[in-house]
Amino acid sequence: MIQSLISLFTENPFFQFALLAGIASSITSGIMGSYVVVKRIVFISGSISHSVLGGMGLCLWLKRVHGISWITPLDGALVFALLSALLIGWTHLRFKEREDTIIAALWSTGMALGIIFISLTPGYNVELMNFLFGNILWVSKSDILLILGLDAIVLLAVFFFHNRFLAICFDEVQARLQNVKVNLLYFLLLGLVAISVVLLIQVVGAILVIAMLAIPPAIAGRFQKRLTGIMVLSIFLGILFTLTGTSVSYYLNWPPGATIALGAASAYSLSFLKKRN
Amino acid sequence: MSDPIIEVKDISFSYGKTPILKKASLTIFKGEFIAIFGPNGGGKTTLLNLLMGFLKQEEGSISVLGKLPKNARGEIGYVPQFAKFDKQFPISVFELVLSGAVKECTWWGSYPQKVKDRAHKALEKVSLSHLKDESFGTLSGGQAQRVLIARALVSSPQILLLDEPIASVDAKSEKEIYDLLLTLKGSMTILMVTHDLEPLLDKADRLLCVRKTVSSLLPKEACGHYSMGLYHEPIKLI
Repeated sequence: MIQSLISLFTENPFFQFALLAGIASSITSGIMGSYVVVKRIVFISGSISHSVLGGMGLCLWLKRVHGISWITPLDGALVFALLSALLIGWTHLRFKEREDTIIAALWSTGMALGIIFISLTPGYNVELMNFLFGNILWVSKSDILLILGLDAIVLLAVFFFHNRFLAICFDEVQARLQNVKVNLLYFLLLGLVAISVVLLIQVVGAILVIAMLAIPPAIAGRFQKRLTGIMVLSIFLGILFTLTGTSVSYYLNWPPGATIALGAASAYSLSFLKKRN
Repeated sequence: MSDPIIEVKDISFSYGKTPILKKASLTIFKGEFIAIFGPNGGGKTTLLNLLMGFLKQEEGSISVLGKLPKNARGEIGYVPQFAKFDKQFPISVFELVLSGAVKECTWWGSYPQKVKDRAHKALEKVSLSHLKDESFGTLSGGQAQRVLIARALVSSPQILLLDEPIASVDAKSEKEIYDLLLTLKGSMTILMVTHDLEPLLDKADRLLCVRKTVSSLLPKEACGHYSMGLYHEPIKLI
């Protein structure tokens, strides 16, 4: 079985692309998910990931109804993810006391827009279903290039801003006292989370993104005491969940995204057996 | 007395329709050790936030080091209560102390060696160098509070503001924190909010009672009623 699994990933081009997409998305989600978990913005990330449906629906509608062939649902997802990150960031800074309600409203507005555009688009939207529930085996060469490009942006930003992100995640007041541009850093952090969301949509779909963003760092946090340690372990866990989930889904004929998310959730439950460091 | 380092004149501030400070005035001189006390909701923490420029007064004026509070932030060190932080946050003691000088990060995001040296010295000052690689969340209350003081010291501030640093710490840690503050006394201006005035009576130069307005008194003028939560104007002996 292991032999056939290895040959699956070495010989089948669909699985090779899936392997590459899994590794690339696990790198960014491991890093950005760690910030999301320690800064306790999992709910915000959930809102970003669900609101992308609006962008994906819009792009499908433009493509199918208005014949704009160069546009892809992933482009719409990226634009909507960044826009909702900006809106949520502004909401957090401006309406702190009503933040959760406004974020929930944005969450449902994005999804509502998506549903309306889908209903206006003729045909059965297999493409959209794949984005909603994920299908890592459906990743194309151009998707891989986009994923690697976004990966590079996130890695570069984190390399330059990690110490600043760590400082604002722990204590924004202290950073403000030093006249650090906390608001700008907060928007940057949310923007990078938005990019990670788009990367993960390829793997587990918009609905299940939150699982892959939050679960690997949550498990890693039980074993590691430093944020950098959590990031490294989260990346490995993300790759492990993606590969095992994809393989299991292939043999059981289950949907890959859901299988990956279920595997991650099961591992998270098991991690509670380990006492926190 | 030396030059005033903080001058607050007739400030008023309210949260919505609830007045917190009304025509409050105070003057702090360089190198003073001031204990700030008063009833809950009397405006102590609000006063600190106004001095740091995080809040803006509705009327009156505030001058910190001759500047608007917002422009003097770089010269202020702030020590909050350790209990408000997430104990599970994955940050080491040394990383936390360094974050007190995050504004000095290079453009590529790392801390210069001079900042690391200052962080080591700040940890030595609070006698916690041996715990620099430990997780902040694993420290005792007293140790955690001293680490937060080290973080405030790493930027070499002229003014140190402490918001109830001895709340939630045991008696031994309380003494260690007071001993530490006494070593800093004179080298910087210290304003410490406290609910427990008694231990500060032989350490502070002046006491400020904040209850909508601000009254200044000398430690010898402190009344036994204050420890019972009965705050009143100081009684001047004729």
